[in-house]
Amino acid sequence: MRIQERTREWTFTIEAVHALSDLLDEPDWMRDLRVRAWRFFEEIPWPTGKEETWRRTPLRGFHLDAYRPFSPERLREIPTEGELATVYQDHLAELASSGELIMDEGQAIYHHLAEEWQARGVIFTDMHTAVREYPDLVQQYFGQLVETDANKFAALHYAFWRGGTFLYVPRNVEVTLPFQTLARLSLPHSAGFYHTLVITEENAAVTLLEDFFGGQEGMHDGVVELFPGPNSRLRYAHVQDWDMTLWNFGTQRIRSSRDSEVIHLISSWGSRLSKVWITLDLVEPGARGQLLGVYFTTDHQHIDHHTMQNHIAPACASDLLYKGALKDESRSVYQGYIKVWPGAQKTDAYQANRNLMLDGRARADSIPGLEIEADDVRCTHGATAGPIPEEYLFYMESRGLDRTQAERLIVAGFFEEVLTRVENEDVQRKLEATIADRLGVPLEDLGY
Amino acid sequence: MASTLEIRDLHAGVEGKEILKGVNLTLHQGEIHALMGPNGSGKSTLAYVIMGHPQYEVYSGDILLDGESILDMSPDERARAGIFLAFQYPVAIPGVTVAHFLRQAVSAVRGYTAQKNTNGPVGSNLIPLREFRQELNEKMRMLGIDPSFARRYLNDGFSGGEKKRLEILQLAMLRPKFAILDETDSGLDIDAVRAVAEGVKQLVGPDLGVLIITHYQRILNYIEPHYVHVFYDGRIVKSGGPELAHELEAQGYEWIRREFGEPVAHA
Ligand SMILES: Nc1ncnc2c1ncn2[C@@H]1O[C@H](COP(=O)(O)OP(=O)(O)OP(=O)(O)O)[C@@H](O)[C@H]1O
Ligand SMILES: [Mg+2]
Repeated sequence: MRIQERTREWTFTIEAVHALSDLLDEPDWMRDLRVRAWRFFEEIPWPTGKEETWRRTPLRGFHLDAYRPFSPERLREIPTEGELATVYQDHLAELASSGELIMDEGQAIYHHLAEEWQARGVIFTDMHTAVREYPDLVQQYFGQLVETDANKFAALHYAFWRGGTFLYVPRNVEVTLPFQTLARLSLPHSAGFYHTLVITEENAAVTLLEDFFGGQEGMHDGVVELFPGPNSRLRYAHVQDWDMTLWNFGTQRIRSSRDSEVIHLISSWGSRLSKVWITLDLVEPGARGQLLGVYFTTDHQHIDHHTMQNHIAPACASDLLYKGALKDESRSVYQGYIKVWPGAQKTDAYQANRNLMLDGRARADSIPGLEIEADDVRCTHGATAGPIPEEYLFYMESRGLDRTQAERLIVAGFFEEVLTRVENEDVQRKLEATIADRLGVPLEDLGY
Repeated sequence: MASTLEIRDLHAGVEGKEILKGVNLTLHQGEIHALMGPNGSGKSTLAYVIMGHPQYEVYSGDILLDGESILDMSPDERARAGIFLAFQYPVAIPGVTVAHFLRQAVSAVRGYTAQKNTNGPVGSNLIPLREFRQELNEKMRMLGIDPSFARRYLNDGFSGGEKKRLEILQLAMLRPKFAILDETDSGLDIDAVRAVAEGVKQLVGPDLGVLIITHYQRILNYIEPHYVHVFYDGRIVKSGGPELAHELEAQGYEWIRREFGEPVAHA
């Protein structure tokens, strides 16, 4: 690399795509994928606000030009592992895990995989290491589910993705404790592009919890691809805890094989604006999936989840529950579609979106959609939005709790119904801790 | 010195409709009062107004705790001052476990929460967990409540009897000066009435004043009241000793109606 290249400030261009691929010393197939994605990015127009998916989520104020796709110079500013111990200790301490991965600005800075699982063929590492060390495996799955042209932001992601988690669990291996990733953006004005890829082979079982945080005045554009294999169990919890000034975009997709069981949970606490697409494809009979979501919005926050339960094969079940609590002048958008394809008989598909309005000025939009092309189908959907019932508050107050305490406890309880569905106490505790954090109180103040 | 809770010529209602039409009643710590009266006469309204339910308006009169009016106090302040209400219909609050809720409540009522120490260790404004657990287990055992209830959500999916027992558990944990039990015995089978009544009986003593709102003599067989009051059309029309409860049980309210006339609706 020439000297002036090293200090150059990259902007979002095809040259930058190549420079990034050079920097990462990537194989041709990955470079090609980036280049292809860049072309799609250029082709796909910016949302105008007239598209159905963007109608309620205006991008006013977002300017891609304000960010740099990456900066080799700035990477050196990332604190070292030792310096970071204090930052991460708290996060890690909350959960006993089979392995931990810590990344900052797309760079892995700490990695650990328990011996036991390594010996049994489990791979848990950062995406770049995976591309280098397991090229065939990665190539087989990477970008195969969330397509490079899925939307404008997915295209941008694939052109500039950096960092992320790769988790592979071989046949018949059931990992007991969860894996944990901490993905951070520690520098201000950063653009992050974390990519997550999880594969469970037949009869395997695993839990992954990812915690995204930091990113002051930054943006994040992530992709998550989950491949639960036949008769496997995959639990994934995505804690979106970005700085309140960050713009967040995400595309997440699950392809469920025969008799597999997947639980996908997203908790959206942070960001100034968040737009996340989540798609569950049930492609083989007997697959079951739960899509869970919790969000808490304050000030002028805007959180948008756009989900799709895609019943392609017969005898599959999907169950969606998204719950949000809204304060101040914040806004949430939930758009959820259930699609049952011809021939997908014996489908069970449920969808519920519940909103707790903590403030008269907040607004929650709920837009369900059904498209059913099979006749032997059980399908329900419903949405509610309302304040905390006065009777709840009076009951708690009559036992000595002041109004604020009562409200907090009720809100935490409102989310609890979703968290228990994860059916993993460690993950549940960790999520409870993030809720307490979001409510601005020690976990103890919720009586725990 | 024993505390007093005094209700003085209390007129209250909802949306301009008067329900309480001049209630006079004085409770001392250590006393047990029974309040009996026909459906719709305003007993629960009285209980709610004492507790400070925001839906009800006080038009005139006063409620005094040790001579100080509590009308300006919020419900949680009244609770912290030592007043407790066992609800006729306890609400279910999903997602909030009995243990979490009670730890908060106990901490608030016993003053842990008030001495909030922002610099102190996490949880310093709550009753220590071990101490709390120990006490909770003890009280649950005493009331015959299965320990698993601590982890269940507040009244969520509880049977009628379980809800009432949980109210008494809260009473036991919060140790108020005055407790109003609004039909804690209603809807319970014979064994459950006994369990609840015996639970209450273990709590009564010189430090507790109790107002038992009931339609039945049977709970009073376990907890003998010092005074019985007949509530009719928004006020107490007759007071007496325990024999008055037997009289009502035997004769119903017809004689009260004859004596005091049909309720009059005030606009
Ligand atoms: N929030 C309210 N809004 C309108 N009316 C009310 C309200 N609360 C009570 N009332 C009315 O006031 C009257 C007294 O009700 P209350 O529940 O106090 O009676 P009660 O003596 O407790 O009856 P019961 O023995 O059936 O429990 C009833 O006519 C009731 O409909
Ligand atoms: Mg009543």
